[in-house]
Amino acid sequence: MVTIMNKFARYIRLYRIFAVQYMKTVLQSKVDFFVGLGGFLISQAAGLAFLYLVFEQIPSIQDWTLEQMLFIYGFAQIPRGLDHLLTDNLWMVGWQMVIKGTFDKYILRPMNIFFQIICEKVQFDATGELLIGLFFVGRAVVNGTVHLTLPRVVFFIISVIAGSIIYTSIKLVLASIAFWIKNSSPLMTTLYDTADFAKYPIEIYARPIQIVLMTVLPFAFVAYIPSTFFLINANIWKTIGAECIIALVFWLFAYGVFKKGLTVYESAGS
Amino acid sequence: MILCVSIATNNQEHRLMNENVIELKNVRKEFVSTKHYPGWKGAVKGLFTKEKERKIAVNDVSLSIKAGEIVGYIGSNGAGKSTTIKIMSGILTPTAGICLVNGLEPYRSRKTNAKNIGVVFGQRTQLWWDLPLSETYTVLKEVYEVNDRDFEERMAFFHEVLDLQGFIHNTVRTLSLGQRMRADLAAALLHNPKVLYLDEPTIGLDVVVKDKIRQAIREINEKYNTTVILTTHDLNDIEELCQRIIIIDEGRKIYDSTLNQLKKNYGCRCSILFEWKEAPDEAQLTALHTMGENVEFTRQDNGVRISFSKNETAVADVIAKVMGTIEVKDIQIKETELTDIVKNIYQNGTGQGT
Amino acid sequence: MAHFLKIYWTFALNQIKSNFVYRWGFYLHILRKFLGMFIYYYLWMAIYASSSTGQLGGFDRNEMILYVFMSYTISDIVMIGISSEIGYDVLDGSVAMNLIKPINYRWYLTFRALGTMIYRIIVPSLFIWIGLEIYKVFGLGMPVSNPLTIVLSLTSIVLSFFIYAFFDYCFGMLAFVTTYIFGMTIIKNAALNLLTGKLIPISFFPLFLQKVFAFLPFTAMTYVPVMIYLGKYSEAEAFMQIGKQALWVVILYLAGSLLWKRIEKRIVILGG
Repeated sequence: MVTIMNKFARYIRLYRIFAVQYMKTVLQSKVDFFVGLGGFLISQAAGLAFLYLVFEQIPSIQDWTLEQMLFIYGFAQIPRGLDHLLTDNLWMVGWQMVIKGTFDKYILRPMNIFFQIICEKVQFDATGELLIGLFFVGRAVVNGTVHLTLPRVVFFIISVIAGSIIYTSIKLVLASIAFWIKNSSPLMTTLYDTADFAKYPIEIYARPIQIVLMTVLPFAFVAYIPSTFFLINANIWKTIGAECIIALVFWLFAYGVFKKGLTVYESAGS
Repeated sequence: MILCVSIATNNQEHRLMNENVIELKNVRKEFVSTKHYPGWKGAVKGLFTKEKERKIAVNDVSLSIKAGEIVGYIGSNGAGKSTTIKIMSGILTPTAGICLVNGLEPYRSRKTNAKNIGVVFGQRTQLWWDLPLSETYTVLKEVYEVNDRDFEERMAFFHEVLDLQGFIHNTVRTLSLGQRMRADLAAALLHNPKVLYLDEPTIGLDVVVKDKIRQAIREINEKYNTTVILTTHDLNDIEELCQRIIIIDEGRKIYDSTLNQLKKNYGCRCSILFEWKEAPDEAQLTALHTMGENVEFTRQDNGVRISFSKNETAVADVIAKVMGTIEVKDIQIKETELTDIVKNIYQNGTGQGT
Repeated sequence: MAHFLKIYWTFALNQIKSNFVYRWGFYLHILRKFLGMFIYYYLWMAIYASSSTGQLGGFDRNEMILYVFMSYTISDIVMIGISSEIGYDVLDGSVAMNLIKPINYRWYLTFRALGTMIYRIIVPSLFIWIGLEIYKVFGLGMPVSNPLTIVLSLTSIVLSFFIYAFFDYCFGMLAFVTTYIFGMTIIKNAALNLLTGKLIPISFFPLFLQKVFAFLPFTAMTYVPVMIYLGKYSEAEAFMQIGKQALWVVILYLAGSLLWKRIEKRIVILGG
């Protein structure tokens, strides 16, 4: 027990050290930071403009009001932003590190490899997603779209964490595929894009798409399904409970694929 | 000819004489790749079919290395040097065979092994590119859990042998190649690894820096009894550092012995270049060819190259014979250098020394 | 002219070929193209199902289906990133190489983009369009597009390509000023999704914004060709819009030349 605690403390310490190093690098170019932040804010604004313009014309979409849609939209951004903030370096694994062989450096250091990958980068662009997400969730609380109670706050936090884990797991599987095919970034971008389906109520899609979003790429569980718990008091086990189980199963699967991938990693001829 | 100097200190050598730090048994590594087809037809064909190609990078290599040795691991491009190093450092898992470093399989006990080894890849860096050099060492200190006292002591030592003071506060991006290489060497040694792998540590460096790096490797080996495995294309590195040399070609180990032995076996050959005033006639040529069995003639533009073993034929005899037969304009005597020996082994294998 | 085409056509040809090399990219490109279209298709279907009038922003349900698929298809073949190529060229210094060669950098980039455009027409925009035309007639019971509409749409699409190419060339000049062109690209793409009408028809915007957009080149990149194809413009209006597109091609071409002149001076002075 003590050793586990020590190990944990060590990794926290290491994360701080790596993150601080990364921040020093980022601070050398503040413009980049603001451009990145602005980019994600404007992307979000485009999606929101769509909702506002549509709701100018109709009162509700399949019984969801604008305020409810905005809550779902905002809620979807928080786990996405959290994952984006913490594990953005996985993109580099899928895109360049395996094909160029720079992944070698992680294997040569006496630390957990997944941990090394994520602690090397803190993607502050994600603040854009987090700000928008928190703003619209906060707004829904203030205007009474969702009711605030202490247990609900706890469930919200649990749901956000589970949602981030689902995002991270899907990214980890896709990045790990690079160990077999060298560059998995086209695959990553394509499948990551399916997360956009999750910003809207899943009932609007055709049955096969719904099934995909609830099984192989379970983005439906990241925001829409848990948000029904907060919006219309849907059963907690069928929403947040299911989300947690999916998160656990997907994490174990993703980490297994990653471990397997390490054994077939071929480095690159120098 | 300069002979290699044996450098491991005696007392340490005795104590660790029988301990194999590295052991490879019948190690084999294959890579599988997909074929690309050329042209328009190929592009369309590539959309539907897939053909695999198998390449054997390391083929049944066995070797063992003792503590404190400095071993030169050489071979032409694509011979399998880097692949072997990557297996020994845990980056690659061998297709067959077993590799033990300090009694562990690196690719299975990755974290423990990582603490035991240091690696420098000449073409890459493990330094934090955008930050002052000193930051790298601060991070590595934590990663490898080096305590304050050891850290101070080792940094002092690196300052001394690698001259880091001048640029320790500079951003890594701005360092020259030579500075970067010295910094990388220090980074690989900060946790005092038992084994140090150097993959082309002197590539692209000027003579002065090369010398400094070699000097540092020697001192580290003496002070910490670090086992060093070194791949290089610069045979001066080998000549100045290694007692032992392993040659690999097309994935197979083709030579493994001490440097002295190598020179004894192959190094006694000598060749003399004669440039003659006017082309000799048939009679003169026939006369020349009577010099001995193991003397080799190669016709050149306006002369001849004669190669022979100094053990059998004296240099003076050859010169006397040629000059007695024909009028000579110029003579050049070429002793065999390590480069030639190695070139010879690459080309002809170890079977014969020609 | 023939000589000019002969030189630059090879760049386009090479680009088509290299697009074909990566099998994965090939399949994924198709998949990715469909994903976005289907999200908005379903979203619109749900929106129309919730509408009492069946008419939104001047579109009925069937027209909106065609709009979603056409706007995605057209913006995919028209909007081909030139600025990111400039970004890479500046980053690895090969832009200097391109200045030494006896070719015009802008035409070189434009023809490479043309190569990608042709590739994307083959894979699979043309087939989407044909499929859509069939669906339009047999699925939605609408009349077959008349030949004039098709000719006008194609003309408009070609002009859109040049408007975007020359616009993105100007945008790419930023690469010489800032190192963060790739971050700016994210902003640009997000803004263009909205401003070109790819995400939602321009007619949904408040009137005063529509008036502002009329003075910007963005609607000419996607919205105009789609509207022509849908027959939402009268014949005279369609010709007027195409004339306006041609004007934008000229304006953006001149703007690009002007910017390049200034940048070139800077490069010469600073020595790259």
